[in-house]
Amino acid sequence: MRVRRAPFRLRALRLLAGTALLGAAFSAAAQPSDVAVKAAFLSKFGSYVSWPGASGSGPINLCLVGSDPFGRLLDDAVRGQHASGRPLRLLRMNNADGAGGCHVAFVQGSNPAATGAMLGKLRGKAVLTVTDARAGGPQGMIHFVLHQGRVRFHVDDAGAARSGLSISSRLLGLALSVRQRG
Amino acid sequence: MRPLTRLARLWPNVPLAAGLAALLVLAAGLAIIFENEATYRTQKGSEIRVQAEILAASVSAALDFGDAPVAQESVDALRVNSQLMAAGVYTADGRLFASYERAPGRLPRTLATATPRGGNAVEAVVPVTVDGARIGSVYLNALREPLSRRVTRYTIVAALILMAALVVLVLGLAQTALRRANKELEARAGALSEAYAELQVQVDERARAEEQLRQAQKMQALGQLTGGIAHDFNNLLTVIQGSADILRRPGLAEEKRVRFAEAIVETAGRAAALTAQLLAFARRQPLKPEVIDLNAKIRGMTNLLDRTLGERIRVETALDESLCTVKADPAQLEAALLNVAVNARDAMPDGGTLTISTGRCALREEADAAVFVAIADTGSGIDPEILERVFEPFFTTKSVGRGTGLGLSQVYGFAAQSGGDVTMTSQVGQGTVVTVILPCSDEEAAEAPAEARSNGRRARRSGRLLVVDDNEDVGAFAEALLGELGYDVVRVTSGAAGLAAATGQHFDAVFTDVVMPEMTGIELAERLREVAPKVKVVLTTGYSDEITRSGAGGRPVVYKPYRLDTLAQVLEDVLAQGEREG
Repeated sequence: MRVRRAPFRLRALRLLAGTALLGAAFSAAAQPSDVAVKAAFLSKFGSYVSWPGASGSGPINLCLVGSDPFGRLLDDAVRGQHASGRPLRLLRMNNADGAGGCHVAFVQGSNPAATGAMLGKLRGKAVLTVTDARAGGPQGMIHFVLHQGRVRFHVDDAGAARSGLSISSRLLGLALSVRQRG
Repeated sequence: MRPLTRLARLWPNVPLAAGLAALLVLAAGLAIIFENEATYRTQKGSEIRVQAEILAASVSAALDFGDAPVAQESVDALRVNSQLMAAGVYTADGRLFASYERAPGRLPRTLATATPRGGNAVEAVVPVTVDGARIGSVYLNALREPLSRRVTRYTIVAALILMAALVVLVLGLAQTALRRANKELEARAGALSEAYAELQVQVDERARAEEQLRQAQKMQALGQLTGGIAHDFNNLLTVIQGSADILRRPGLAEEKRVRFAEAIVETAGRAAALTAQLLAFARRQPLKPEVIDLNAKIRGMTNLLDRTLGERIRVETALDESLCTVKADPAQLEAALLNVAVNARDAMPDGGTLTISTGRCALREEADAAVFVAIADTGSGIDPEILERVFEPFFTTKSVGRGTGLGLSQVYGFAAQSGGDVTMTSQVGQGTVVTVILPCSDEEAAEAPAEARSNGRRARRSGRLLVVDDNEDVGAFAEALLGELGYDVVRVTSGAAGLAAATGQHFDAVFTDVVMPEMTGIELAERLREVAPKVKVVLTTGYSDEITRSGAGGRPVVYKPYRLDTLAQVLEDVLAQGEREG
């Protein structure tokens, strides 16, 4: 498992900028809860991912598989959102059995093992899997973490490649770490 | 200021084409500058816009996910562009999200104020979009290249253009000047060639006139000369003819016969001297210098002088007995003294005294020993301006028929050829002195042997002679003369006939004229050497030019007019030599 670490220069800049600018310009953005941020992020991933096969004109399905930590926050975030010109549709499902039609799937079981099982079912399917570190255990292609008080994410580009997904470099640029495709 | 006014004065000289070309260059230069400036503005604008678009693309995700540090990284990457004064990323609602500012005040706090402010800045506002939705904006503010630098650049361009225009103008000016100079030159050349042609005509005319004048002078001189010769010869011929007439009278006393025969001989000798003088003047006859005792020569001439000058003129001599001998042609010396004496006589029509004096002197400034003979008269003297010209050939004050104009020039030529000098001093009314100076010779004077021998009677000669002469009279005379001497004589009138005669018969000697048509005497002598090598040849001529040119080949020459004695002597010597050889 190869984890790309951001170059030292970038990290140093980021630190500097974080202390100087974030305090002022981003203070408003820091106010929403971590959950709301994650909901907003979920609604935006679709714009930076391309799925295999000719892109259809139907809606992009954003599925919540397993438990739902977002509630109305996600509904608000998804409302009116588009991804690659296609409307975003939020689907909730208890297990991964019906998640084959999903484009983006937030997977969270009641325990890490359940999460892992659901991820296993989606493996090989063209579904961008998203997990949260707070649930612990297994990681999807995008894995939320809380880093220095801010919601960040790791990206498993290799895993996405195996499922035939292609993640925009712009999104990879925002990731804490990227597992490179082989 | 002065160059400028000079330039202004030159302006009318610039040809229209050059002026137009210069203006065109200027206009083109200005157009280039403006075009350049406009292009620069457009280019700078689009360049900044492209940069803004790149920034917008690179910060879209960061803006989308609210990741300001990443957006800031992208913005900071623009710092390397020193012309970029400010860059800002704004959220969709216009808040500043990430920024970079080189100088404070460059960046609007909110996007609403991000309107182009003009001036020296180039601004660009580009939307940041994700999936076609605008999620924010990017603002870039770049500094245009400073005006001063652009002005400098354009100034250089302008200077170059100005220089080009100036060059064109100067070339035009030079061209005009050149054309004008050419035109002037052409005009001058034309005038010059006209003047030259005129001059040529004048020169030709002058040459023609001079030629005519020369011809006239020649004819005049010739007239003078022939007149003089005719006069002199008539005098001599009168004596000869008269004497001969008297000799033809029967029963003439022996004493008278001898006297008139002597007169003929003497007069003929003078005639011979006269022709010799002419030939000498014409430089056809080389001098035959002998060592002479000057005093003896003068004493020998007194009788002749007495007779020549007439009874009204007394001849006196004042001779220095200590003289050295001189080397000169005696005949020429005699002629020179006679010439001076005759001039003296003509200067004394009413009689007078001619004094001949000799003495020692030095020749010119050199210390060479010399003798002089001065001939002074008590005559009318000579005008100074005439005195200057007396030695010129053909110059004479005597009327036609009374002088040849050669007398004094013969004196001068003789003196010069003998290595001496001649001077002439005169005072009008007092008389004239002519002084001939001759260098001393260190040889002893020889007694004239020919003179002694000429009087001797000889025994009758014998021998067979061939006489060749194309002139019937001279040939017949020579035949008679030689016959009188006792020789057996055969006469022919051409070289070819002579050659034929000598081939068939035996002759002891051939006496041939030199100047003959077809075959000259010298050619005949050469041919005779082949057919009759033993026969002796004696040449005779009255005109030494041929001898001078071809040489006598060692053969004896008898010059015409010859005396009987001379001819007899030469033939005798030749025959005697033949006998010795034979």
